[in-house]
Amino acid sequence: MSFNSFKRALWAYHINTGSCNGCDIEILATLTPRYDVERFGIVLVGSPRHADVLLVTGPVARQMAPRLKRVYAQVPGPKLVIVVGNCGIEGGVFYESYNLVGPIDQIIPVDVYVPGCPPRPEAIIEGVAKAWVKLEQAERQGVA
Amino acid sequence: MVSLPFWNPIICIIALVILIAVTCLFRSRGQKKYKEGTAQTQIFLSGEEPPAVEQIHIKSHNIYWGFFQILKRYYDPSVRAHTGIINDYIIWFIALVALTTVILFIASLT
Repeated sequence: MSFNSFKRALWAYHINTGSCNGCDIEILATLTPRYDVERFGIVLVGSPRHADVLLVTGPVARQMAPRLKRVYAQVPGPKLVIVVGNCGIEGGVFYESYNLVGPIDQIIPVDVYVPGCPPRPEAIIEGVAKAWVKLEQAERQGVA
Repeated sequence: MVSLPFWNPIICIIALVILIAVTCLFRSRGQKKYKEGTAQTQIFLSGEEPPAVEQIHIKSHNIYWGFFQILKRYYDPSVRAHTGIINDYIIWFIALVALTTVILFIASLT
């Protein structure tokens, strides 16, 4: 897929690393008729190998860390990571748990943070739009 | 009179060439930025580590799942009958020979 495709569509893969599902429901809410991000060409895909952007939720449970790394490695470049929700940013209400190895930016590089518990769909859409701009910049600079 | 279906090998070859050309066109439009030999070319198993190639094996039995499901009422007794014990097979053989003999004997009387 060439960079020209980003001007038409942005494909995102969503991975939950131990979230309470609140952020995941908000991500799904962006696909509902009220927000309908698919009209901009933003689509959730079923495989990281087809994705341009990784949407990550959750504070990264210990068992999820290697899986998260593997999924990140499977996204072809140029790629960006968007963290959705407080848990992925700084642990949220789970921050003292013995079972966490997060937050996410300690496991994989993160480009956009969308805070909130859970963040509203508008905030998620804004985060994706910012990631889109960063992707265009990355492509112009030839970053793989 | 039954008319034969139309058959022309030249047209078949042309259709095949067009099909190959379209396939190559689709392939050329695909993602080119994959890095060979990395995780990007491995199969995706929800983040799980993919098993070694020699451990990935789909049995042909799985392909016929629907077929076996429909004929389950026939296959289940047949599978139960195939115990793998030679004594059972000999009993089946003797019983069938006896049954055949009786049938032939009755048939010879009529």
